[in-house]
Formats: sequence, structure tokens, C-alpha cells
Amino acid sequence: MNLALLSLAIPLFSGLLLLLGGRALRTRTTGFIAIASTLASLIAAWLALQEVAAAGTTLLLNLGGWETGLAIRLRLSSLSALLLLFTALMHLLIGLYAGLSRAGINRDFWALSCFLHGSLAALWLSADLFNLYITLELLGLTAVAMVALSGSKAYRPAANYLILSLAASLFYLLGVALLYGRYGELDVLLLAPRTEADVITRLALLLMTTGLMLKAALWPLHLWLPPAHASAPTAVSALLSGLVVKGPLFILWVLWSEVAPPTLAQQIGPVLAIAGMIALTAGGLSAMRSPHIKTLVAYSTVAQLGYALMALGLLLTWQLPQMHIALWLFVIAHGLAKASLFLAAGEMQASLGTRRVDGLRGATQTVPVAMFAFAVAGGSLIGLPPSGGFLAKWVLLEPLLSQPQNWPWAIGVLLGTLVSAAYIFRVVALSFDRARINPPDINPDRVGHWLALLPALMVWGMALSGEWLIQLLAGGGV
Amino acid sequence: MNTLPLVTAIELYLTLGIAVFLLSLHGLMTLHDPIRRLIAVNLMGAGTFLVMVSLARRSEVPDPVLHALVVTGLVVAISATAFALRLIIAATKADRRGGKPEP
Repeated sequence: MNLALLSLAIPLFSGLLLLLGGRALRTRTTGFIAIASTLASLIAAWLALQEVAAAGTTLLLNLGGWETGLAIRLRLSSLSALLLLFTALMHLLIGLYAGLSRAGINRDFWALSCFLHGSLAALWLSADLFNLYITLELLGLTAVAMVALSGSKAYRPAANYLILSLAASLFYLLGVALLYGRYGELDVLLLAPRTEADVITRLALLLMTTGLMLKAALWPLHLWLPPAHASAPTAVSALLSGLVVKGPLFILWVLWSEVAPPTLAQQIGPVLAIAGMIALTAGGLSAMRSPHIKTLVAYSTVAQLGYALMALGLLLTWQLPQMHIALWLFVIAHGLAKASLFLAAGEMQASLGTRRVDGLRGATQTVPVAMFAFAVAGGSLIGLPPSGGFLAKWVLLEPLLSQPQNWPWAIGVLLGTLVSAAYIFRVVALSFDRARINPPDINPDRVGHWLALLPALMVWGMALSGEWLIQLLAGGGV
Repeated sequence: MNTLPLVTAIELYLTLGIAVFLLSLHGLMTLHDPIRRLIAVNLMGAGTFLVMVSLARRSEVPDPVLHALVVTGLVVAISATAFALRLIIAATKADRRGGKPEP
């Protein structure tokens, strides 16, 4: 447990250090401190994962030594340890890109990225509904500040994002207040056995679900995401799409799979799964029609979150442990692939001097490495074997295909795959159009392009450690 | 002194809290001016806190946990409001410099 706390505390304190150090530190030193602390946090998360695997059970900690019921509890399960590791890895990959690529980044990025890392780590570890609200707010505020880093053009989308994010948090908070008023508990583990399917509980869960779906940009509450994510600096877009939207998704999962009474969970399951299916198709079609590269990638996030929502919905409907594995494999595979996609899109925009998808004509010749990263990461989003996306989709599809009465869901998944392939191949096909090449404005930044490729290679490497991941997620349960 | 019985008063405040929340949600969805939308969000917060404070008063000794939650929530609301105001002002200034019409 101490190691997990270390993984949370290191980025938090280095964020404070960078904030207090401010202008006294050189930009290069700032970046170095941030990346070193991410690396330390990554190692701590890895050791915490070993610790929880060795213990074979979930570890609990009462903060401040207060007795259970009064204390705010932290919980380290194998899932939260894995998510800690994933968060640190994503920050490391994106931090390396931000620090080493020629595009560079505003120096305030480093402190904010440390805070983002800390608040996500706190979110994965919290087992208290109000503490989850606090981490949700921290996450939202940091994310908005990061969107605003790209300058005056992004202030308007950032302000809209903030207002929506605050409203969503209040929905969640009102739900928490109602649950506390009904049961007198905030701790997830103490609340879980006591909840009943009465009116107050239904209302509270409905309010919290609305707020969380808005925050996670789950269909039909996703409209704020594309402008906010597309207007942020490239490294920030990658963090927002790859990590930040997964936080509220985690709370949604805790809420329905643990806190909610099973009868209610079975009722909401199909609704969530259908919303996921619609998100897959609708988000994919919007991505296909989008004229701008970054908006295309942002809409693809909306579509891909549909898979996760569908896995969550089917998990609640059938209580199948396999869906739990599929859900978290999707989260990890999508995070890595989306980071690569956004970094590659940003690099191609900068090199080719265009924000439009049409401007990518001949990109395989002019910016080969970045285009390769885009195609490889896109392959994982489509679910081509042997990528991480394929692994997740296989785990999701297996129980759907084995029973004929589940085939309608399988058709939804396959339709989603088709649409994903359409928007990825639209870009790839344009990039092979070598007859009308859009010449690059500047010499491509080799380091930046290779760093954009790195997360995509990792998502394909996920297939190699597939069995380990599946066993880890299957063994951990909650 | 003629006062309402405690239970009725609490029900009244709970209803009022929910009503404030819903009215300001309506405001948030229909208004366009960012400052007005921010005020709507703040009122949603006020509604939520009203619900929490009236829930705390149900026992003879008010529930300190809910009070602590409200205080924490107020801190979050104030900081977020300050941040949002600063962003809105900066966005409006940037729009004016860019010569774009104000929304």
C-alpha cells in the first residue's frame, strides 16, 4: 500500500515543487524533474502491482488511522495498481514527446501534468464517494487549465469545458448527498451491502450517472469533447483523450458494479450497452465526415468509448467476469493508441502546415514515420490482430458469438469496427495519393515522429503480454 | 414564537433545494452568455448545498459529516468560479482583439 501511496505522492509533490519553483527553474530543468518523477512513480506503481499480486487480495488503508466508518479509505486492488501503472506509463510517453520534440510545450505544462497524474492516481485508489468527487473536480480543473495552455484561441472552449464539467460534478455531488442522506455512509465497501432498490437510491444513481456520463463524454452527452480536445496543444490532447475521460468511467464502474443493488444494475445494463452501440456508430460517422485531422481523432474517442460503455453495460446485464476484462483492456489499448494518434496528428499538422484532412495527400512520402504511427495506432482502434485493440475486442466478442440470442450485440460491435475502419482508411488512403502531394512546410522533426510511434508500438506489444493482463484482471475481480 | 414543526421545515428546504437545482439547470441549458451560465452553475451548487444542510438537520444534533462536505464543496466551488471568471474574461478580451463579434 505504501508503494501505491508513493506512486500518488511523487507526482503531487513534484507538481508543487515546480509550481513554487516557477520561473526560478530553467525550462529544461522543469521538464527533467517532471519526467524523472513520472519514472519514479512508474517504478513505484510496478512494485505496488507486484505487492498486490503477492498478497492475492485487495489492500485497504484508513487514512489518518481513524476507525472504519469515520476514516476516508483508500483501496489498492490489482485493477487500481494496473491503472496506476498505465497512468504513469502514459505520462512518461507523452512527457518524453513534450520534452524532446521540436514542437516543445509551454513550461506550465509540466506542473499541470504532474497534478493531473496525482489526481488520477488518487482517483484509482479512492474507495469513498465524496473523495471520488474531490478527485473528479481536481481532474476537471487541471484538464481545463491544460486546454487553456494553447493560448487565446482555446480560452473559449476551455471556459465552456469548465462550466460543463462543474455542472456535471454537481449532479454527482447531489447524488452523493442523497445516498448519504438515505444510508449514512460514504464508504463504497460499507455502502455496497446496504443499498436497496428504492426511489431515493434510484434518483441518486440516476443523477450520478448523468454527471459521470457527461464528464466521460459518453454518448449522448459527448458534444463538448471534440472542440475541447481538438483545441488543446498536441501533448495535452493525447493526455485528455487517453486518460482523463477514463477517470469518470472508473467511478461509473465502481458505482454500478459495487454500490448499486444488482437488480438496478441489471435494469440499467442494456440502456448503457445500447448507448455504447449508438456511440460507436454515431461517433465513427462524425469522425468520417470531419474536415480537420484533430477533430477526426477527437470524434474517434467518442466512438471508442462506446466499446467501453458497451462492455460495462453487458457486464452489468449478465454479470459476466469476462466483460470486466474486456472493459479494462479497452481502456488501456485505447489510451495508448489514442496517444499515438494525437501525437502523430499534431506532428503531421505542424510539418505539413495544414489542419485539414485533405492536406495529408502523399503523407506516406513526406512524413513517413508519423503517418506510419497514425496507421499502426489506427489499426489497434479498428481491432486488427495482434494489437491490444484486437485482444480487447476478442474478449468482448467471444461470449457474444457463442450464444445465438446475443448476436444483435455482436452485429453492433462489427458495425462499429466497420465505421472505425472507414475513418482510419480514409486518412490512410489519402496519404498514399502520391500524385498530388502536399509538400511539407518544414523539415519533419524526426525525434518527434519516432516518439509519436512509441505508444503505438506498445499497444501492439500488449498482445504479447495479453495472457498476463487477462489473468491479472480476472484474478483481481473488484 | 410561531415556528414550523422541524420535519415540515426540513421537507420544505429539501424541496426548495431541488427546485433551485432544477431551475438553474434550465438556466444553464437555455442561456448563452458565459457569465450567466456560470451564475447558473453556482446556483446549482447552492441548491445542492441546501439539500445537504437540510439533510444534516434531521437529527437533533446536526450531522457534522454533511457540514464538512458542504464546507469542502464551497471551497471547490469558489476556486472553480474564480478560475472560470478569469478564463471568460481572457476569452472575451481575446475575441475583442481579434475583431470578432461578441457572442
